[in-house]
Amino acid sequence: MEGFVAKHVHDYQNGKISRRWLIEVLTLAATTAYAEKSASAAEPSGLDAALVNHVSYTCPDYRRAADWYSTVFNLDQVGATARDVALPFGKKGEKPYGVSADDVPLTHIICRTRPLDSAAGGGPRRRKPTAVIDHIAFTVADFDRERAKAQFAAVGVKNVRDGGPFSVYVNDPFGYELQISGLGVTAICGAEARATCGDNR
Amino acid sequence: MERFIADLVQSLDSGKIDRREFCKSVALAAAVYGAGDAAQAQVQRGFKIIGINHMSYTCPDYPKARDWYASVLNMKSEATRDDGKRANLMFGPEPGKGGSFLVARNPGNVASGSAGAKPGAEAVIDHICYTIPNWDEAHVRATLKAKGLDVTGRDGSLHVYDPFDYDVQIASAAEENAFKR
Repeated sequence: MEGFVAKHVHDYQNGKISRRWLIEVLTLAATTAYAEKSASAAEPSGLDAALVNHVSYTCPDYRRAADWYSTVFNLDQVGATARDVALPFGKKGEKPYGVSADDVPLTHIICRTRPLDSAAGGGPRRRKPTAVIDHIAFTVADFDRERAKAQFAAVGVKNVRDGGPFSVYVNDPFGYELQISGLGVTAICGAEARATCGDNR
Repeated sequence: MERFIADLVQSLDSGKIDRREFCKSVALAAAVYGAGDAAQAQVQRGFKIIGINHMSYTCPDYPKARDWYASVLNMKSEATRDDGKRANLMFGPEPGKGGSFLVARNPGNVASGSAGAKPGAEAVIDHICYTIPNWDEAHVRATLKAKGLDVTGRDGSLHVYDPFDYDVQIASAAEENAFKR
């Protein structure tokens, strides 16, 4: 509780939260603690991210990128505009793999061409981040490293690199790095560790 | 096979593939068909993506990112993979059953085979959008506010910044859906 209060006071003193909000939060925490539910009050729960909804990929020529992703990964292009197009991981009406909920749509890539500081969500111009998503890894069906290399070669993709025994890396036409692996590469047992971690998924 | 060829022709006509690629694909299809496995011909054209396996997120201070994503998006850090330089943050279905993870890592922590972060790359992932099921506008906004975050966007599709000014979008199925653009 003390840590919780200290954090919020710190945020208040640094102008991150208003006085009113500080009062509301501390009141809620205090009353909840009194009701012996302090655990839930001490750290307000976050939101449950169910799946990646989309990846926003910005490049100099979105059509070229979209055509490449369509060809290499068998993705349809839907909802094209003058500056972007979506490539869903499946057909309309399909559910994402492993998801039973009805309100979780298929993950998709949005290939777009626009200034990097374009407004985010109608707000001010997008900030320049100090972090970067340096590569994305796709899970593909029936992954086999040597077959994957042959498949890339068949569609003209060069510079395919091994990512351990259980994944490969390639670059798209704009030099963006992609990794391909199977379902067995997980947060618990990544591509580099699979040979030794004893996870048999 | 006929459908496969028809698709190829359509791709050629629309300029998605060039003549050379078309020829290679037909030849490959014929060879595979000749070997008695027509279905394999379609597989050879490309991959079937099941989903996002993971996203590699390089930032100046990975514990800060780890704690933020765990707190705001309820991602779970896999303790055995937190080595002081990176952490794997799981979300969605179970690992191995469609689940994804965000690898939060410090600069210089590069996976084997990866080129790592390349400053000045021509293409960037400028934001990631996460689906929040059972979307309740008031609850979502209150939760983000309680985390001290400034929220922009419209109902059902909101944006916040993580500690490294990376744009994070969260959305409902109704507002962000490839087939409803």
